[in-house]
Amino acid sequence: MGMTRTYAILLMGALLVFAGCEDPRGSGEQTSRLTVYAASSLTDAFREIESGFEAAHPDVEVATNFAGSQVLRLQLKQGASADIFASANLQHMTALVDSGIIVSSEMFARNELAVVVPEDNPARIKSFQDLPRADSLVIGTDDVPVGRYTRQMFEHARAQLGDEFVQMVRDRVVSKESNVRLVRAKVAMGEADAAIVYRTDAVSSDRVKTVDVPSSINVSARYPIGLITATEQPELARTFVDYVRSARGAEVLQRHGFLSEAP
Amino acid sequence: MMSRTAYLAAPLVMVLLLPVVGLFVSPSAADVVAGANHPLFAPALWLSLRTSVLSLGLIVVMGTPLAWWLANSSSPSARVVELVVNLPIVIPPAVIGVGLLQVFGRRGLLGPWLESVGLSVPFSSAAVVIAQVVVAAPFFVQASANAFRKVDDELMVVARTLGESGPGAFLRVALPIALPGLIAGASIAWARGLGEFGATLLFAGNMTGETQTMPIAIYTALESDVRAAVVMSMLLAAVGVLLLVALRFAPAAWKWTRDLGGPS
Repeated sequence: MGMTRTYAILLMGALLVFAGCEDPRGSGEQTSRLTVYAASSLTDAFREIESGFEAAHPDVEVATNFAGSQVLRLQLKQGASADIFASANLQHMTALVDSGIIVSSEMFARNELAVVVPEDNPARIKSFQDLPRADSLVIGTDDVPVGRYTRQMFEHARAQLGDEFVQMVRDRVVSKESNVRLVRAKVAMGEADAAIVYRTDAVSSDRVKTVDVPSSINVSARYPIGLITATEQPELARTFVDYVRSARGAEVLQRHGFLSEAP
Repeated sequence: MMSRTAYLAAPLVMVLLLPVVGLFVSPSAADVVAGANHPLFAPALWLSLRTSVLSLGLIVVMGTPLAWWLANSSSPSARVVELVVNLPIVIPPAVIGVGLLQVFGRRGLLGPWLESVGLSVPFSSAAVVIAQVVVAAPFFVQASANAFRKVDDELMVVARTLGESGPGAFLRVALPIALPGLIAGASIAWARGLGEFGATLLFAGNMTGETQTMPIAIYTALESDVRAAVVMSMLLAAVGVLLLVALRFAPAAWKWTRDLGGPS
């Protein structure tokens, strides 16, 4: 009997602890919390935008969740509670707009692809044309935006450098990662000879060297941002989106290597 | 009293059972067919079977003598080795993956040497097997050592006095007695190897047909086609359920067939 009661108390205690982990959004009157889901490649830029926004709005706390856009799309589709979604390509955003999860979206930044190699560059890759020299190449999966852009870039390369070149490069792929930061990490650790990432990921790490992709082969990655339909604070979310698209937001994005959306 | 205990235990039992039930209840037949036809499915199944069977073979061949030694040695070194063998059970698989990179990676302890003889382990099927062996071996070795400990020393002495050699006594006396324990250990080790995810993802990467085992294919498919992820999950869950049922009833079935066969 005594044992049972002890168990019951322990169980209730545990439940209370878990209940305490519940999203505190809306519970506090003074501070509101804004949840932003953003593509992995936006990690550094959005962290800075986050602190800038918080400085301008001291009563707002911004929480960020970075992952591959396809993972965030899945989480939002499964009912994850967020206010804003910033994707690295239009495909995942459109899918969410079509299913009514996102109200509408607007473009806010552009990016390009680049090749990264370890600092000691063991395969001596100096240009895009040297890519077949890599013993091990890491790219994104077919679903993550960086992986889709990479395949698109391979098609451009096929037209200019031939089938054989693209086949050789594809044969060097040893792993496909689910977000661009994981792709870059394989080169930063020195485990891969080369990886294909966004130019912004290339310049933001001092552990990798950048090899440019010729502009005739490169692709233009466009980043849309949108409000989540179910947000409880549409005005605040709107303010954040406007901040990202303001001159200050653009300045931060450009400092992190992004290109402005308006050409 | 009994009912009150059940009241407290029920949430736990439900939370253990429901994920397995949910897997088999939610998808439609069309979903299952679509999932099984997903391009990730067949290569992952084949790779998982190949690597997990190879891993199990390596574990049994190297683990059986180790278990025998652990069961029979009373030296302090044996106790230390037993602890070391069990380390991967308490270390998170992701940590094992990082550790394996630090050993076999290009900049790892053995990396430069391996590279000099033309071997590159990370991102290869060999890396998958190494990860599986590390995480699964403890389960086999521990179960086998426990099984060998139940072999009566005197039986071995009698076998020797009846003219059996050392290895002969092991093969004809100790092994048959310990066999059910060894099989149970091997089954659990195989299931653990088949389900290996964290260490494999970090150490071996994610490449269809090369390093993308079923659990990693599930993780990848979840980002594109949930149906494929569900079908692969169903298959792995079914394998686990079958294994558990077989282990539960194998001893009885074993005894039954032996009794049927009469004194041999």
